[in-house]
Amino acid sequence: MAQAHGDQVIHYKQYIKIWGWLLVMTLLALGLGYSPMPEGLKAVLLVGITLAKIVLIASIFMHLKFEKMNLVLLTFSPLVLALILFFITFGESGGSSTHTIITH
Amino acid sequence: MDASLAEQQRVLASDWGGGKSPFGTSWSKFMMWIFIISDALTFAGFLIAYGFMRMIAPAWPKQTEVFSMPLITFMTFALISSSAVMAMGVGAARAGDPKKAVKFLTLTIIGGTIFLGCQAYEWSHFIHEGATLTSNPWGVAQFAASFFVITGFHGFHVFSGVTILVIVALRAAMGKYSADGVENAGLYWHFVDVVWVFVFAFYYLL
Repeated sequence: MAQAHGDQVIHYKQYIKIWGWLLVMTLLALGLGYSPMPEGLKAVLLVGITLAKIVLIASIFMHLKFEKMNLVLLTFSPLVLALILFFITFGESGGSSTHTIITH
Repeated sequence: MDASLAEQQRVLASDWGGGKSPFGTSWSKFMMWIFIISDALTFAGFLIAYGFMRMIAPAWPKQTEVFSMPLITFMTFALISSSAVMAMGVGAARAGDPKKAVKFLTLTIIGGTIFLGCQAYEWSHFIHEGATLTSNPWGVAQFAASFFVITGFHGFHVFSGVTILVIVALRAAMGKYSADGVENAGLYWHFVDVVWVFVFAFYYLL
């Protein structure tokens, strides 16, 4: 509970500032959606913008910035594990799809 | 004897000794975080499955042509704005100003309701075009199913969030007021916003 008192330090102005940034990044992401750039580059940029938005929401709106590091680690570590599992199996899905089963 | 008692007290007082929360939160806030983490993994499962489907699909319909992007952007605006207002509501509740908290909570509820209304319109439009849970007119496997399941599951979370916020706002208005309760409802609401940020980027834009 001791950490919770840090909340009162935050002024409404900061929430409005974060709100503005979130809207700017939403419009940036929207622009990316319409742009004709290669899929891979678009994916990297969208992931970057999304992560930036998540960090802002989690740290300021959800107050993680003012919580103990223990709680912050608890919050993010399962998601990092999910991403690792995703990338382990992701590679093979990029191959050309075929309905022929190759036998030896 | 005294030495072991002192040792026990020393252990209990330490961060991981069991005598206090190593996470420095109230039990209810901690439980809300545990729920959010498990729920985030459910959505991670959906989005990762969707990612694999996108990778193995030979083609994918152009979302900016299938969906009304001005509507989706407006929905995103409504949800992000409601999240910002919710943060202010939690601030007001913490500062011991229930009247202001109820005002902000009401604005949050309005934002959530606008989002749900737009989503109902979007769904009916999509269904009208011929999309069902088992087939879609674009002929791309899993295009409609992933839409219905991902946005449907998220929409149900928004609906639950609005319900929770209405209860919290009514209780706050009646004076049954707890800053912890408002903060926990707020955490859930921000989480719903976080999920939408992912869905917006990866389902509608990528």
